[in-house]
Amino acid sequence: MTFLQILLGIYEGFGITAIVTVLGLLYAIPFALLAGILQHFSTGAARWVVTATIEFWRSSPVIVLLYAFYYSLPAFGINLSAISVGAMVLGLNIGGYGSQSVRAALQTLNRGQREAGLALGLSRIEVLRFVELPQAIAAMTPTFINQAIQLIKGTSLVSLLTLTDMTFRAKEIAQLSYNPVGVYSGLLVAYLIICYPVTIFGRRLERSAAKGRGASHEF
Amino acid sequence: MTSNPTDEQAGMGSIQTVRGGTAVSIENVSKWYGNFQVLRDVNLHVATGERIVVCGPSGSGKSTLIRCVNQLEKHQRGRIVVNGTELRPGTKGLPAIRREVGMVFQQFNLFPHLNVIDNCTLALVRARKLARNAAEAVAMENLTRVRIPEQAKKFPAQLSGGQQQRVAIARALCMKPKIMLFDEPTSALDPEMIKEVLDVMTRLADEGMTMICVTHEMGFAREVADRVIFMDGGEIVEQANPAEFFSNPVQVRTRQFLSQLLH
Ligand SMILES: Nc1ncnc2c1ncn2[C@@H]1O[C@H](COP(=O)(O)OP(=O)(O)O)[C@@H](O)[C@H]1O
Ligand SMILES: [Mg+2]
Repeated sequence: MTFLQILLGIYEGFGITAIVTVLGLLYAIPFALLAGILQHFSTGAARWVVTATIEFWRSSPVIVLLYAFYYSLPAFGINLSAISVGAMVLGLNIGGYGSQSVRAALQTLNRGQREAGLALGLSRIEVLRFVELPQAIAAMTPTFINQAIQLIKGTSLVSLLTLTDMTFRAKEIAQLSYNPVGVYSGLLVAYLIICYPVTIFGRRLERSAAKGRGASHEF
Repeated sequence: MTSNPTDEQAGMGSIQTVRGGTAVSIENVSKWYGNFQVLRDVNLHVATGERIVVCGPSGSGKSTLIRCVNQLEKHQRGRIVVNGTELRPGTKGLPAIRREVGMVFQQFNLFPHLNVIDNCTLALVRARKLARNAAEAVAMENLTRVRIPEQAKKFPAQLSGGQQQRVAIARALCMKPKIMLFDEPTSALDPEMIKEVLDVMTRLADEGMTMICVTHEMGFAREVADRVIFMDGGEIVEQANPAEFFSNPVQVRTRQFLSQLLH
């Protein structure tokens, strides 16, 4: 097998990798925003609950979460597809990290921003939505892009749930071709080809954010 | 409020050119931060159309006092009535009350992610539910009023301090407030920019705006104020019209403050 054939073989798993990534982001982004905002605003017992939820998803080993949800939920009568479990676990894990960036970005905002919004007669929610979040999101976008890359790389773990993603394909090919060195270097290159453009995109965003604007005022 | 028959007048029109009515009543107001009493039984009645200058040493409670008027700070004792509505803990409709009270901050506090015109239209569109076109017309009108219409598409970071503060004034005026609060609006400015901001404030005063200005610009106080308030240690120590205040201060603390201010 030539290196190109290996790569093409691996990319037969691209669909699954992409689907798990996109679905994962659909879990990660709302969870990061919601958990980050709630942690920023809540106090007392409510804050403890939010923090515990975040820490559960963030601090547990992803592979343990994958196995736990994939193999033990059916025992409770909940049957989720491997893709659903993979996307949820990876997404909420990355979202847990993301929530900390959201909270930090909200905390570092000058309190004058909030006061100016309130003084204009905006409600607290409107201030959050139109004044604080757009600035916080612009500030955390580079971090978030990095976390999205972590998510792409993390999807390789769903091969353990027997999903035919890129990593799973590499394992198949390696068994057939008896060329683990070629196949696994091919796998490295395959992930690099996907992740590098995202990194470049993130850097460009970072630069436009550094110009001090660039965020839309609609959230 | 029932006790004041002229309060109704204060609720009419955007800017009152006729004096009369009470815009702000502050009665026996006290406030603490923990054990530290920052306001001590403050009484102040501001008539509609009146221009008040508040001065006093740093830490004397000036900012806290005017921030109680739009409830950015909550008072713990006493009564504050603004445009006929008493502000209590848990007062309903605080945003609606705040829309009638413009505030200008020492640090401008423009929204850096929005250009000048969007800074001005944000609350019109989101809180007053104005259509964008109508809001932009109001914004341009007020940017013209502060003589900066040509900067409408710029972002705050691209403007000088004086320009930013004028935008902040325009942004507040867009809500057609009945009262304007200024908290040391020129203290963060380079000397050459102070005048452009004071000129805008003076014109606003000439138009009949009710104003409470915390400032140490004594030229402005002499020219514009109806009354100068001197605060120290959370109390109003002395108040008088500017002529009397500057030529004949009664209290020792006022004299000391003024002599320090004039070097
Ligand atoms: N959030 C706060 N917590 C505790 N103390 C405060 C707070 N804000 C202001 N203070 C204190 O209250 C006093 C009055 O503050 P301020 O109203 O800002 O005074 P001024 O505007 O006259 O300089 C100061 O001693 C200040 O340190
Ligand atoms: Mg102050």
